[in-house]
Amino acid sequence: MTPNAASGSSGSSGPSRRSFLASTAVATAAVAGGMPLLAACGGSDGGSRGGTTSGKNAKKILPAYVASNVVSPDIPSKNGSSMGFTGKLDVGTLKTSVPKKLGKGGKVTIMSPFWGSPPKGDCAYYTAANSMIGVDVRWQNQDGNTYDQKLGAVLASSDIPDVVVIPGWNMTAKIPSAIIGKFADLGPYLSGDKVKEYPNLAAIPSDAWQRSIFGGKLMGLPMPASYVQNIVPLYRQDVFDKQGYEVPKSADEFMSLAKEITSPRAKRWACGDMKWTAFNTFGVISGGEKALSWTVVDGKMTHRMETPEYLEALEWTRKLFAAGYVHPDFKLGKSQATDPSAKFAAGEFLIWNNDISNWYGQQAIQAAQNPGFKVWGMDLWGHDGGNPVLWAANPASIFAFVNKKAPESVVRDVLAVANVTAAPYGTKEWMMTNYGQEGTHYTLKNGVPVKTDKGNLEVANAYVMVASPASTIAHPDLPDYTKGMVGWQQRMGAFTKKSSFWGLQIVEPNRYTNLTNDMEQLEDDIVRGHKKMSDMQQFISDWRSKGGDRLRDWYKKLLDENGTAAS
Amino acid sequence: MSHSTVPRRAEASTPVQNPVASGGATGPREKNEPGRPSLRLRFRRDRTLLLMTVPAIVLVLVFNYLPILGNVVAFQDYDPYVSDNGIVSILHSPWVGLENFQQIFQDSAFWNAVRNTLVLFFVQLLLYFPIPIVLALLINSVVRPRVRAISQAILYLPHFFSWVLVIAVFQQLFGGAGLLSQLLRQHGFDGLDIMTDPATFKFLVTAQSVWKDAGWGIIVFLAALASVPPDLYEAAAMDGAGRWRRMWHVTLPALRPVIALLLVLRVGDALTVGFEQILLQRDAVGPGAGEVLDTFVWWNGVRNQDFSYAAAAGLVKGVVSIGLVLAANKVAHLMGEQGVYKK
Repeated sequence: MTPNAASGSSGSSGPSRRSFLASTAVATAAVAGGMPLLAACGGSDGGSRGGTTSGKNAKKILPAYVASNVVSPDIPSKNGSSMGFTGKLDVGTLKTSVPKKLGKGGKVTIMSPFWGSPPKGDCAYYTAANSMIGVDVRWQNQDGNTYDQKLGAVLASSDIPDVVVIPGWNMTAKIPSAIIGKFADLGPYLSGDKVKEYPNLAAIPSDAWQRSIFGGKLMGLPMPASYVQNIVPLYRQDVFDKQGYEVPKSADEFMSLAKEITSPRAKRWACGDMKWTAFNTFGVISGGEKALSWTVVDGKMTHRMETPEYLEALEWTRKLFAAGYVHPDFKLGKSQATDPSAKFAAGEFLIWNNDISNWYGQQAIQAAQNPGFKVWGMDLWGHDGGNPVLWAANPASIFAFVNKKAPESVVRDVLAVANVTAAPYGTKEWMMTNYGQEGTHYTLKNGVPVKTDKGNLEVANAYVMVASPASTIAHPDLPDYTKGMVGWQQRMGAFTKKSSFWGLQIVEPNRYTNLTNDMEQLEDDIVRGHKKMSDMQQFISDWRSKGGDRLRDWYKKLLDENGTAAS
Repeated sequence: MSHSTVPRRAEASTPVQNPVASGGATGPREKNEPGRPSLRLRFRRDRTLLLMTVPAIVLVLVFNYLPILGNVVAFQDYDPYVSDNGIVSILHSPWVGLENFQQIFQDSAFWNAVRNTLVLFFVQLLLYFPIPIVLALLINSVVRPRVRAISQAILYLPHFFSWVLVIAVFQQLFGGAGLLSQLLRQHGFDGLDIMTDPATFKFLVTAQSVWKDAGWGIIVFLAALASVPPDLYEAAAMDGAGRWRRMWHVTLPALRPVIALLLVLRVGDALTVGFEQILLQRDAVGPGAGEVLDTFVWWNGVRNQDFSYAAAAGLVKGVVSIGLVLAANKVAHLMGEQGVYKK
């Protein structure tokens, strides 16, 4: 498993949840090979159905944007970062963004990925949130780390829940075609000015809605995200300070630092699996989604696998494993059954690349038991010691979809839920979604809300998965962490480039969707020494002849016809 | 409908199989024998018994035979998402004939899975299969009932642990940062890489199976041992046979039919070497060593939603397995044993 989402989720507030998800996503997506495949609509050979919707066609169905100015952020978004709120939150004077309940009291079942141990279905948090919304939401929480393994079977059945939450990194193989075939067009409820009935949804940025278009229809309720890469090399700053370790500035410096730290006899290793950080520091084109893996390099449409940086990053990671600097548990890959956070807290390893939400999440969870514990994030370095070259992630990667068979009353109730969960920071609705009920799930310490044990247990995942406000980082209990995280995004954002298909939702034709299914598996095999670099070169040349080259032409044509979304 | 099908089917196959009502027939090998009561009579006579088999037959039909029809997707490019109804989806999916099979036979990942499956089967046959027999002999030689009951309980217990638990325990003990490795390191040796070494994965998996299930496997052998008449041992002892000769000439011959039967069953099941256990550890060693046929089917079908491809692979496995059962059964007959069935 990847950066552990579970811990992030319980500690973090709304905005961050997205990120932890993302981390897992990354892992998975990568595996999948990036794949939203999409299929378009069509049947099996659906070349015609694949593609994307952008420009004028998209404008027709996108919801109108009406900014919300409930609270203005202390740190405005810059370079694609989230907004940061560091000022004191006065719980007594929270604003109300949903003056009257829109829910009609219907029952809505929602299947969603969940990182960690889900609470009971009738827990106090769910009851309180449901009564605020006016809809009886029944959660079907599924393990987020293995969500991709269940999704395909659930969507193939005739009994799909009213709402299914699907992260972009789980849109592998035929899932995109399932989305197009099985979920409802929300255009009739949200396109253009219709969205104004749901003001918090109207305040979701248009680039997030753009990503919610599947098969030419507005289908997803998005969770907006910062487009800066979400994987941060987190490290134990307290141990670094004590031992006098310096944060590395190049691939070589990292390697020698890792050597210095590692001492298996003392049960200490330098790091976890650093593959995703290697991709970032070597400037490899983003692998979070299939379409993001393509961009024009020197005039030629190129897949990330075909770049020398990709192989260099794998080779560096392989050396890290081979030298024995990686904690042995990470050799298990996705078979890793136990949560690494306890080992991180125990100092068994000191550097952990993880979703940015865990920067705060690990601190919030561990600080209570280990007073000296301090986690911080490293700036990404360029492998040669220069500035890094980073590739943008998508501005929304998690979507909630409504079952096509759901009657209008259910769709309206779902939108009522989304309108509450998308409420911005500083409102009662945001507080309920992210912190639960005062007294039960959080208490005020010096005027700052701090989650109780019950809050940490129950207020995790769930409602934040339905739809979210513009990407926000706000941790009233640890404002320094908000500053650290937003600052990191802004510094890294300055080095971030957008690839050709950034921001679009692209469905590949069915016949190409299986091409990269085994790619991430092979990456993981190589870095762990089970396969050789030459196996990857073989894989790439097979990939080209089996359809990679035709897929390249398909993407080139798509770019010629649609242009990019990035402005 | 099952009322009528059962007897009719039975009759149709009389030359091979004995019909339900064979008890009353004297020379039941030939069709329409004069001494045999008519179908109607037999039906009336046995209707209560037949009625009692109906629920079982319905269950078998619905859960074992009906789903077999779904194998048709192996010959299609099946897309489960074109409709909410699986049958409609099948009707709407294009027919591709043997294309999936052609692809499978050219797929190196498939042959890799076949190879791993067979290697694992032989390793388990050699290292796992004999162990329950030896354990059963050991337990059988324990005289004091209390000791016997306790050792049996200890041997059976791991069978009731889930695979997740078994593997977690192995990881804690033998993992790269586990008890054993750290102990070695503290004494100046290198740590071991038992859980993530592809080269020794087959032995790791076999060791886990032995630890978990070998105890449970002795039950059948114990039952067979219990049925050996004690006077045989007495007679052999009187004739001067020692412990080993008694085991060789009395005990083992008594176990032979059971061993042969289990061996036939095991060979027929050769392509099934464990699913959950291997899936849980597949990523730890990579599919090069950790992919077997069942996980191959799972990966392609459930994980990649390529249900047609997975169904085709599953069918190939099924057909080969039937061949193996028939062959193993034949061998058992040649050795003079009963086997699974007899004509």
